[in-house]
Amino acid sequence: MMSEEEGRSQTLQLFATCLIDLFRPQAAMAAVDVMERRGATVEFPTAQTCCGQFSYNAGYHREAADLARHWVAVFDAALRRDSQARVIALSGSCAAMVIREYPSLLYHDALDRGDSVDEAERWQERAERVGKRVIEFTEWLAHEATAELPTSGIGVTYHNGCHMRRMLGITSVPETVLQSHGFSIVPMEEADQCCGFGGTYSMTEWPVSTAIADQKLQALGKSREMGAQCLTSADFGCLAHLSGRLSRRRDPFPVVYIAELIALADRGPVTVEAVQQMAQHKEEG
Amino acid sequence: MDGQLPIDTRPWPVRRDAALHDQTMQQTIGVVTKRLANAKVTAYAAYPEANHWRQRAVEVKRQSIRQLEEHLATFTQQVESHGGKVHRATTAADAIQTILEVAQHHQVRSVIKTKSMVTEELELNRALENAGIAVRETDLGEYIIQLAHEKPSHILAPALHKNREQIHALFDQDALVYHTEPPASEDIVALTQYARRRLREEFLAADMGVTGGNFLVAETGTVVLITNEGNADMVTTLPRLLVSVVGVEKIVADWSGLIDVIQQPALSGVGQRLSSYTTLVSGTRGPDQWEGPDEWHVVLLDNGRTQLKDTPFEDVLSCIRCGACLNVCPVFRQVGGHAYGSVYPGPIGIVETPLLTNFEVLPELPSALCTLCHACGEACPMNIDLPGHIVQLRQMKQERHMNAIGVTRSYRWWARFWATPHGYRRSMRWARWGQWWFVRHGRIQSAPGLAGGWFKTRDMPPVASMTFHEWWDRTRGKRQ
Repeated sequence: MMSEEEGRSQTLQLFATCLIDLFRPQAAMAAVDVMERRGATVEFPTAQTCCGQFSYNAGYHREAADLARHWVAVFDAALRRDSQARVIALSGSCAAMVIREYPSLLYHDALDRGDSVDEAERWQERAERVGKRVIEFTEWLAHEATAELPTSGIGVTYHNGCHMRRMLGITSVPETVLQSHGFSIVPMEEADQCCGFGGTYSMTEWPVSTAIADQKLQALGKSREMGAQCLTSADFGCLAHLSGRLSRRRDPFPVVYIAELIALADRGPVTVEAVQQMAQHKEEG
Repeated sequence: MDGQLPIDTRPWPVRRDAALHDQTMQQTIGVVTKRLANAKVTAYAAYPEANHWRQRAVEVKRQSIRQLEEHLATFTQQVESHGGKVHRATTAADAIQTILEVAQHHQVRSVIKTKSMVTEELELNRALENAGIAVRETDLGEYIIQLAHEKPSHILAPALHKNREQIHALFDQDALVYHTEPPASEDIVALTQYARRRLREEFLAADMGVTGGNFLVAETGTVVLITNEGNADMVTTLPRLLVSVVGVEKIVADWSGLIDVIQQPALSGVGQRLSSYTTLVSGTRGPDQWEGPDEWHVVLLDNGRTQLKDTPFEDVLSCIRCGACLNVCPVFRQVGGHAYGSVYPGPIGIVETPLLTNFEVLPELPSALCTLCHACGEACPMNIDLPGHIVQLRQMKQERHMNAIGVTRSYRWWARFWATPHGYRRSMRWARWGQWWFVRHGRIQSAPGLAGGWFKTRDMPPVASMTFHEWWDRTRGKRQ
């Protein structure tokens, strides 16, 4: 399992995302564990905050650009220390924001603030340069040589986040990764449908957002009948939405971030109890 | 000049709640949109060149829009050389006036129509009826909603929200009014047979036909209509007077361009290689011909369209009204078409309604009816950047100060704090301190301000007692 590319340890700069940092730090801790077990040197640029997608999607582009410039500055500095290092994003959606939206956001915002075209282009190039080195966690993991783990028989159903699927084009990779770590995938009906989260949409338009979440939970119900014992995703935003809805409906069905499942499998045979315990979100001091 | 679109004047929360409480509609719309979306995927999978042809169609549409005025001039010249008359209408009101003048000049008493979204945009039926002229829709879906006194809920399938039982009841009632035999059963064949029999009488009695148009071919001055029912053949040949109302953006330069685009609406809309009938109108009835109208008027409608030219939104004019974006939209699947309050629902409606009217009507659409899941962008065969436009429209609303001041302030403060590591950590400490007023059973169950909506129906774990930042500082900080 301890694979080393070209004889040297790769350096990974962790982009933990604000949601995981604040609401599910265990997910990032698990990701660190997974990366280190595979021989990587993990660094965490501690000045990072949030990618600004909430503001961007709501139309507040000036505000989003403030956060985006900070993000680019933080990770650009971190990457400059090592020309081989990559940024590992613990969210397909936040990765898509950085890779797909930053260059034009920063270009236009620079012009809007009265900067010269040259200055605007510099921001665009800087965003593109950093964006090229961002990789979503499961996509990175899929490229790592991992010994196939024996099947644990735990049925997992996977929610494919919209931005990861449609803006990054990552579709089956996370399920393949789960399978190679011993989990059996239980399909989800209408898997390409949104969970209804949509950032602040879930707050401002909660009736529609909830109706869409309930539709997803209905599909989840069918996966459960087919043997799914837990729900996972590579996007914590979607999971927070669905687990928040399950919790309000007093449904204890386990929901865990994908890196947590991988870390669990790395440590030995996985049991349903271990997954349930992990989902219950027990905090340590 | 800004366009005019009819709207449902009920406020969005009323429209939304009406939709979310209509379980029959929700169920019907859920089943049918899935069926249509899957049919599209299946059709593309079984057709290896599908994407090649789609790409060519995109190029044809884009190119046609770039040379819009030239093609419209050629089209006008051609139509008029074949005995037709072309009218340019800047707004909906202009179009209505032109059509009413034509109808009144010929003392028209009854009109038959093909399905046309543009005539919905004009509210033509109401204008004709107010002038004492009877109107009959002859597309099956349109006929059903006309009987129900409703508006289309879907661009391509206007009666998508109605189930068989509801349609049967409408036909039964119609049979009573017209003293005719009701449908034999709720069976699809029986229902269709009933509509066919009833509509036949109307076709023969009408003295004016009104069509929309899927494409306009400039080089020959041809209006192209595609249907799956053949009703356009009857509407364009039986009455002595014919009016075709078409949006200017439907133009293509020539027949080779038409061939490239013609299969796209059916392919992406219903997963069919080509629609069952193609009706071509190139002029009035000639001296040695036995079918066709004596007089043909073509109304080319602008209504806000050409103001999108040479803007970042120009690709919107490539829309072929296939409805693929509606079928995959998670919001549309929940609330259906009527909740949008616009003639054009779904993602394309969210984009077109404010653009055509310069945000005069339904400004809530871009914000309230999209989760930004990008499914529409993926589904659109014409590569219209629908999600990108929706984000852009949200930004325009913000720049025009159309959002509540409290919401704007929330975003400002949020960005101000989170643009520095110090502010981020400070806001996190505040949240951790403040959240305990709202925690029940270990979960946050309510919150003030912008976040409040979340907690109407969902819980959230509290901010962790040790965030990842703090964990890293504590366990790894020294190594950095």
